[in-house]
Amino acid sequence: MAADNSGVNSLGSPNPGNPTQPDPSLPLAGLRIIDFTVVFAGPYGTMQLADWGAEVIRVESTTHFASTTRGMLARPALATVQAQTGMGMGMPDSEPGERPWNRSAVFNAHGRNKLGMTVNLRTEEGQEALERLVAVSDGLVENNLPQSMERQGITWERLSKINPKLIMIRMPAFGLDGPYKGYRTWGNHMEAISGHPLIRTYSDLSPEYAPAGVPSDAASGIGSALAFLMGKRYLKRTGKGLLIEAPTAENFVPLLGEFIMDYSMNGRVWTQMGNNHFYLAPHNVYRTQGEDQWVTIACWNEEQWQALCERMRRPELADDPRFCDNESRFKNKAELDAIIGEWVADKHASWVLDQLQIVGVPSGAVINERDAIEDRHLEHRGFFKRMTHPEAGTHKTPMTPFKSMNNPGVGPRRHSPRLGEDNEYVYKQVLGYSDEEYAEFDKKGHIGMDFDPSIP
Amino acid sequence: MTLEPTSIMPLDDVRVIDLTHRTAGPFGTRILGDYGADVIKIERPETGDPTRSMPPFYKDEPGLERSGLFMFLNTNKRSMTLDLKSERGREIVKELVKGAQIVVESFSPGTMDAIGLGYEDLKKINPKLVMTSVSNYGQDGPYRDYIGIELNLYAMGGSMTSSGDVDNEPLKTAGRMVSYHAGYAAALASALGLFQVEFRDADGDYMDVSIFETAMHSIDMRLGRLMGYQYTGHIGTRPGRAVAVGGGVHPCSDGFFLMTGGPRFIPNIIRMIGMEELLEQPEWGTAEGRANPDRIDEFLAHIIPWTLERTKEEVRAACEEFAVLGGPLNTIEDLVNNPQFVARNYFQEIDHPTTGPIKYPGYHNRMHREGVDFPKRRRPPLLGEHTDEVLSEIGLSADAIAALRKDGVV
Repeated sequence: MAADNSGVNSLGSPNPGNPTQPDPSLPLAGLRIIDFTVVFAGPYGTMQLADWGAEVIRVESTTHFASTTRGMLARPALATVQAQTGMGMGMPDSEPGERPWNRSAVFNAHGRNKLGMTVNLRTEEGQEALERLVAVSDGLVENNLPQSMERQGITWERLSKINPKLIMIRMPAFGLDGPYKGYRTWGNHMEAISGHPLIRTYSDLSPEYAPAGVPSDAASGIGSALAFLMGKRYLKRTGKGLLIEAPTAENFVPLLGEFIMDYSMNGRVWTQMGNNHFYLAPHNVYRTQGEDQWVTIACWNEEQWQALCERMRRPELADDPRFCDNESRFKNKAELDAIIGEWVADKHASWVLDQLQIVGVPSGAVINERDAIEDRHLEHRGFFKRMTHPEAGTHKTPMTPFKSMNNPGVGPRRHSPRLGEDNEYVYKQVLGYSDEEYAEFDKKGHIGMDFDPSIP
Repeated sequence: MTLEPTSIMPLDDVRVIDLTHRTAGPFGTRILGDYGADVIKIERPETGDPTRSMPPFYKDEPGLERSGLFMFLNTNKRSMTLDLKSERGREIVKELVKGAQIVVESFSPGTMDAIGLGYEDLKKINPKLVMTSVSNYGQDGPYRDYIGIELNLYAMGGSMTSSGDVDNEPLKTAGRMVSYHAGYAAALASALGLFQVEFRDADGDYMDVSIFETAMHSIDMRLGRLMGYQYTGHIGTRPGRAVAVGGGVHPCSDGFFLMTGGPRFIPNIIRMIGMEELLEQPEWGTAEGRANPDRIDEFLAHIIPWTLERTKEEVRAACEEFAVLGGPLNTIEDLVNNPQFVARNYFQEIDHPTTGPIKYPGYHNRMHREGVDFPKRRRPPLLGEHTDEVLSEIGLSADAIAALRKDGVV
C-alpha cells in the first residue's frame, strides 16, 4: 500500500494538492474525513468540519443517485425543475443544464469546501480503495439507513480493524438498533413521529394543515460535528478510536424538552399550539402591508405591554380590565390580537419593527430570502460571501453559523464539488494510486463526472 | 450494555464556568455536561436562573425547585450562587476562570465587558481560555440590542416565512427550538475553541454565537433556500396542504399521517395501497405524469380511503414495508411510549427531591465503547447546592464562605 497507513492524518499540514486549499492555520487543517452523507443533516455536519479546515471527501458513485441530495432526479425534465423551487431544490435560472446534479441549490449551499470522488463499492477494487481511504483518514460520517451501509461493508467492526484510531459517526434516523432500524424516513417524518408538527400546527384548523419544516436536520448536523471533536479528544486521552451514534431523532427530541417534562410531571399533552405561547400574551404574528408580509410581537412584562399601548396610541388599553395583566390578556387574546392586527395592517413590517424596538417591545419581522440577502445587520456582520460555482454562477453564501475571533473570515473557500470533480487528487495523492492504476479505475467505470445514463 | 461511571468521558477533565441563563446557553452547557465536563452554573442569589420561575411546574405549583424547564436544561451541572454586581462576586469568577478551560455566557452584548468580565479581561487571567457568548443577534451590528423572544427570533431567522399553510399565517416552531439550536451551536463553538488550544497549541479563542444567525444558517435548510432564491428568484412561500402528488397529511382512523409523494415515491405508494393497475396507465407509469401538480386531488382520492381504514401505526408499518416515506403525527405521549424509543431506553429516569424519579429526554449521541455506556446523568442542582463545595475548591475557608453569605455575595 503506497499511502501512509499510520491510521491518523495527525494534524499535519493539509495535503499541498488539496483543491479546496484549506489555510494550514485553520483549526481542523490536516484532519481528513470520509463523507458518506446524504440530503441535509449529515452534509450540514460535515460542512462544519470542512469550513473549519478538515479535508472532507464526499464518496459518491456514478451508478447510484441518492434522491434529494443532488436534486430529486438525476435528469429531471425542464418542467420538473421549473416546478421545484421550494425546499432549496431550485436550479440556476430554473434550468437543469448539462449536469443537473451539479446545480441543486441545497447541495451547492452545503457542499462547499468538500472534495468529491466517485467509486463503485460493489466491486473488489472499489472496496480496496475504501480500505486505503479509511487507513489514512481521521473520521467517517454517514447518515444512511443502517442496513445500506452494512451492505457496502461500512461497519465499525471492519473499519476499526483497518484504522483503530478512526472516529466513526453514524447518524441513523432512529438508531443502529431497535424496531425502527430499517425504517427509512426524512427529517420531516422523524419530526412527526417525535411529536413536533402536531404541537406546532394551527389551533383552529385540522392537523391536515400541519407544517412540515425540518429544524431537526440542523440540530443533528451540529451534533455530529461536535461528536467528531469529542471523539478526537477521547482518542487523545485513551489512544482508542470510537464509534459515536448520533441518531437524528435522539438529537431532535431534546428540542421538545419542556413538552416532555410537562408530560412526565403532569401528564399534560400539548397539541395544536399554533403561535400561542404557553402563557404569555400578546404573542403572535400579524399581517402587515405588502404581499405576505408579517410581523411578530410579544410582551413578557407589563412595561413592554404599556410601551406597546403607548406606541399604538391606545394608552387606555393598559388599564382595560380585559388586558390589564398577563393573565387577563391571555384569556382575551383573540380580542387583543384583533386590536394589534388592526394597528399593523396598514404599516410596513420593517417600520413596525423599528418603532417597537425603539420603545423596547419584543418584535421581529418575518424575513424572507430576499430580505435576508439584503439585510443590513447580516451585511454588517459579514454573514455572506460571494462564491462562484463553475456550473451555477456566483452567489452569496453564508459564512459559518458562529464566529471565532482567532479565525476571522472562515467560510466558503471553494464551490461544492461537482460529481467526481476531485477524483484525480483523491485517487493519486490521498490513496497513492499510480497513473496506470487510476486509468484502470477509469476503465472499470469508477471515475466519472456523469451519472450512468440508465439513471433517470 | 452496563454502566461504568468511572470510565473516561471526552470532557471529564474539563471545567466550564457557566454564566448562561434562560434557554439557549443552558442547552449548550448541558451538552458539554453530557460529554463529561464539570459545569459550574453561576446563579443569582435568592432567585437563580429565571427558568426556575418558568412553567411547567411539578403538579403545576410554582417554586424554585419545581420547574420542568429548568430541570431539563440543567442536568449534569453544579449550581453556585454569586452576585455579579458585587466586586467580590466578580473576583470569585476570576478565581474560577483560572482553573477553567471554557466560559459560556449569555448576557446582553456588552454586559460582561461592563462588569470587567469580558474576554479581554479574562484572557489576561487565563490566556488559554475559550469564551463563548450566546446572544440574540451577535456582539455587534445594527440589531445588536434588539429585544426578542423565540417567536421574534424565528421570524427574523427566516424559516417562518415558509412554515405553515399558504392561505394562513406563518407558524413558529414548537417551544424554544431556535434558541436550543443556538445553544447546540455554542457547544460546538466551545469544543472547536478547546480543540485549537489542545491540538494546535493555539491561544484561547472568543466565540460569538447569534441565535439569529444560527437560525438563518441552518434551521429548515435555510442556507439551501437562500441559494435557491438567488438561483430562481423564487421566494419561499408556505406550501399548500400537499406539496407534491401523493404527499401531505392524510387522515387515519385514529389520527393523522404525513406522507411524501412525488414522482419517485408514487409507484411505492400505489403498490402499498394495492392499486398496481394504475402503474399501467401513462399518467402514473411515467415520472413526468406523476410530477403533474394538477393531479394532486385525483391521487388523494385513491390514498385517503385507504388511510382512513387504518391506524396511523398500521400506515407506518405499511410505509416501512413498501419503502414509502412517511410518519404518524404523534403526540408527546405517543413519543414517550414509542417502541423504538422504549427499546433503546432513550428516556432517562432521573430522581429529584421534588419530583422523585421522572423521565427526561435522553442523550443526543451515544459513544460505543465495549461494555460501557454513558454514565447516568446527575440530577439538576438545587439553587446554590454546590456553592460551598466550589468555593472551598478554590481555597476559601468555611469562615470566608460564611462572610460572603452574610454579605449576600453568595
